[in-house]
Amino acid sequence: MSSNRNYDFLIKLLLIGDSGVGKSCCLLRFSEDSFTPSFITTIGIDFKIRTIELDGKRVKLQIWDTAGQERFRTITTAYYRGAMGILLVYDVTDERSFNNIRTWFANVEQHATEGVNKILIGNKCDWEEKRAVSKEQGQALADELGIPFLEVSAKANINIEEAFFSLANDIKKRIIDTSSKEASGGSSGVNVADNSGSGSGGKCC
Amino acid sequence: MTRIKMTSSTTPPVTDSSTTSTPSAGTTTTTGSTATATTAAVPLTHPIPVAALIPRPSSPAGSYYAMSDDEEGDYNTITHTSSGRGVKLLYTKSKVYIHPTPSAKDNIPGYIALLQQRNQHRDDRPSSGDSSSSPASSDLLLAWVPESQLGEAANLYVKVDLSADGDSPPKQSYLVPPPPTVTTHRGSVGPYAFAIPVSAVYSLLIRPPSVGWWWGSIIINSRAGDSFPALFFHDSECQSTILQKKKRTADTFDPFGEAGQMFWGGDEVLRWLKRYVQVERSGAEPNIYLIEPSKEDSVAFGGQPTTSQQAGSSSSRGGPGGAKGEAGMDPFVKLVKEAGWNLMEKFSKVTTFTRQAANDVLDNPRVPPQMRRLLRNPEVQTLQDEFDSARIYLARWAMGIAEQSDRERSRRTWTARDVMELEDTDVGEFELVDGANSLSLEERRRVLALNEWKGFFDERTGRLNVTADEVKERIFHGGLDPEDGVRKEAWLFLLGVYDWYSTADERKAQAASLRDAYIQLKGAWWERQVDLGGEGEEGEWWREQRNRIEKDVHRTDRNVPIFAGEDIPHPDPDSPFASTGTNVHMEQLKDMLLTYNEYNKGLGYVQGMSDLLAPIYAVLQDDALAFWAFQHFMDRMERNFLRDQSGMRAQLLALDNLVRFMDPKLYAHLESADSTNFFFFFRMLLVWYKREFEWADVLRLWEALWTDYLSSGFHLFIALAILERHRDVIMTHLKHFDEVLKYVNELSTTIDLESTLIRAEALFQRFRRLVEAIDRKEHFPGPRRTLSTASSSSASAALADAKGSSSNNSPSPPLPARPQSGPRAASPPAAATTKTKDNKGKTTATKATAPTAEEDKEENVEKIVTPALRKLLSREVEIIRAPVREGAGYPTRERA
Repeated sequence: MSSNRNYDFLIKLLLIGDSGVGKSCCLLRFSEDSFTPSFITTIGIDFKIRTIELDGKRVKLQIWDTAGQERFRTITTAYYRGAMGILLVYDVTDERSFNNIRTWFANVEQHATEGVNKILIGNKCDWEEKRAVSKEQGQALADELGIPFLEVSAKANINIEEAFFSLANDIKKRIIDTSSKEASGGSSGVNVADNSGSGSGGKCC
Repeated sequence: MTRIKMTSSTTPPVTDSSTTSTPSAGTTTTTGSTATATTAAVPLTHPIPVAALIPRPSSPAGSYYAMSDDEEGDYNTITHTSSGRGVKLLYTKSKVYIHPTPSAKDNIPGYIALLQQRNQHRDDRPSSGDSSSSPASSDLLLAWVPESQLGEAANLYVKVDLSADGDSPPKQSYLVPPPPTVTTHRGSVGPYAFAIPVSAVYSLLIRPPSVGWWWGSIIINSRAGDSFPALFFHDSECQSTILQKKKRTADTFDPFGEAGQMFWGGDEVLRWLKRYVQVERSGAEPNIYLIEPSKEDSVAFGGQPTTSQQAGSSSSRGGPGGAKGEAGMDPFVKLVKEAGWNLMEKFSKVTTFTRQAANDVLDNPRVPPQMRRLLRNPEVQTLQDEFDSARIYLARWAMGIAEQSDRERSRRTWTARDVMELEDTDVGEFELVDGANSLSLEERRRVLALNEWKGFFDERTGRLNVTADEVKERIFHGGLDPEDGVRKEAWLFLLGVYDWYSTADERKAQAASLRDAYIQLKGAWWERQVDLGGEGEEGEWWREQRNRIEKDVHRTDRNVPIFAGEDIPHPDPDSPFASTGTNVHMEQLKDMLLTYNEYNKGLGYVQGMSDLLAPIYAVLQDDALAFWAFQHFMDRMERNFLRDQSGMRAQLLALDNLVRFMDPKLYAHLESADSTNFFFFFRMLLVWYKREFEWADVLRLWEALWTDYLSSGFHLFIALAILERHRDVIMTHLKHFDEVLKYVNELSTTIDLESTLIRAEALFQRFRRLVEAIDRKEHFPGPRRTLSTASSSSASAALADAKGSSSNNSPSPPLPARPQSGPRAASPPAAATTKTKDNKGKTTATKATAPTAEEDKEENVEKIVTPALRKLLSREVEIIRAPVREGAGYPTRERA
């Protein structure tokens, strides 16, 4: 890391969940405020960057996006370790993806750093006529797992900001505020783009 | 003005036979100097060739010029009768061509000339005896005129060309009609004369000829930022150059120029210009010669000025101020200065704003030096040091431009020269010229069209008349014609649906039975559908798979026309896509994938497979044949999709070994960046670069890979080629895994395929030679081909197994022997590697004939040929197991 940074803190997040629940779309909405209905499947792993402000601090979020199919889990789990926060995403129109959340959660427990912050995300909440998982079911599962819950829509841009901000905030509280004064970041009177997060096109994978 | 415009490459077609054109020097003796006013007699009605073609601002009206005595100095002069405004032909050179297309027959011969136009404020005539008095650069025109447009002036051009022996322009003033004066060049390259005031010339990109078979060229870059078409000096046809060469040899016994290079026509142009204006060779970009550079340009790119005829401008290079006070400042630098990085803070801004600025620059596709300069700009440098990400952004931007320029180039035709110029890499210079093969690179990379393809087969039996390897060679190098439907046929052979040596009848029968078999297989899951997969675990599994396929197909290649539509109602009202609709081709994809899911139940459908199937189906447009072609493709790809990911791991490991072997420095850097898991190639290897290239390129790439012509692991050499292309950026700018991953991921759709293929092939050749050399050194009795003694023109055919490659156990591809052309290429492989086990430390032993890159650079690294590497020499496709499945009903299973 260079001595000068354009952020005070760096937080690594990870999106997991069944394939097709809309992980990449949530990320695209959050990082570039856009949405595309016909997306492509995510192969391998990628991340996007967005710097947000939390309590006057500049927090750089590096958000990793993974392939959803369990076939690739052996690879994606390698990325669990560095993550400080994990978004467990299901699709409210797809009951199977909701049922699989427990599996995903177990995976996290197994591979991620202890105490990692989590949030349960039910995507596609704008699609009422197709809804297969009620908000109550979602909330109940979140309570059971002991993690926060939000229903979101990447397409309609509902609660996407809130989801990421809330997770980031929890992490900041857990790691930074508790563990103290030493500012890990430094000298950021200057703002500069961190372009490593700016996708060079409409694609994200 | 601080702009360098650079046309990074000129693409001279291989043309030797070409262009026997118009009147050559020496035939004309009449009109010239002895003529007098009275003999002028050029008919006034004579059309004006130049003006007729291009509207020009200051063209003389209808009349032509006549000859008259120059009032002063007793020189005969030719002037314009009506306007009195001819321009004085100071110097000219013939047989300077424009190559509007890669085809030599389109080349347009012409004259490059330095002209002097009359200045309003001064007397443009040389005072007698003082022919060296310099006109202002705005009065000088650098021009190119096609032979066909010289008209009556042709004689004068010929005369001046041939009279150019000394330093001075001819004593006599020859006035010729002025070509249309321009200061910018937009639009197409055509047979149009142009003249640009020297004051409007920013730089010249000068490429001397190399190894005798390429034309040297000059590209004029204007201050307005345009590049004029490359002017190629066909020295071998140019009488004056031949004479000058002879004279030099006679005078000095030294045919070489100042810098030690062979004299060529372009030298003369520099000499003319240097006579009048300051010409400074760029230190940063040695092929660039700046014309009357501004102070800051001199500071920024100049080296030592090679001349400074005009004192003053180069004298005051005092302050290190860099670029300051610039009206014509580069838009990107300007952006950086004005907006500062603050503005770039928001990503959306960065991507739109700077991209827009970049696009302005990108309008002219060849800008790498500009970017290099930008990166050298001290202010930007500081910013870079401060901000990693800006630095990476800039680097990526620069590479983007470079890639675009590659693409520009390959839209025309790649030549060996282009490739040589690509970039330095640590893996050493590319040796591409296959001496044994009389075909040029261009010819070898000629696209294989349906007609040629049909010609490979016996008319009566439909059996292949040539060897499969010959066909594969053509496909590997040239690719199949994307338009004429040859792919539809050829892919079935490449993918093993048809046996290479089958007859037409056999193929017909094969196709029929494959269709039956597909229908049967389809029936298997069709039944499941009745009860939605049924009860229990298997039912659950099936529903999940169907669901996944459904979702994936609807997001696979939807930008490709046949998959784009949503014109039919979805058959399943419960599908998430029921409300959007579907199309028949997506439905076919789903069927095929469900069938495969059933056919290879152990593996099932895995994400990524839809990416592999879509192109095959789109090309074949026949679901049954596409299914079986896909199934064959999957045979080799299957290992990538295994649950334990062992196949992917093995591939990433092979890539690791390969990079370590070929480019230890890069490897060391990746190691330091914690990136030697090569995970950033996961996507590329899993779906064979499907996401990295545009659709059309994917088809071209895959058919090349399917040939297994050099290696069944050639896709790893593609990876290496991509890495090498970006090695400078990676090594300079990328220090962490996430940076490397991001950078590589974002190469998607920016990579130029044709140059990548060429580079990959060169890397493979080098790899093979290295392995051979090591084997020899270590007396390793490994598989090795015997070097064929050379120049049989169809060595590949000779080496090819007459029965096709299916039974070909030879690990080495049927390539012609190493070339004998060029000093580098002539060094035998044995001389290539130099490290031996007993060679401790830095010694580069046995420095034989020619130094090679690895001698210079890889001294300390012991090269080990791991089993994974040795496999890369094989053309045999590794298949996990013999896939015999009950009920498959698939007839013969022979792989080609």
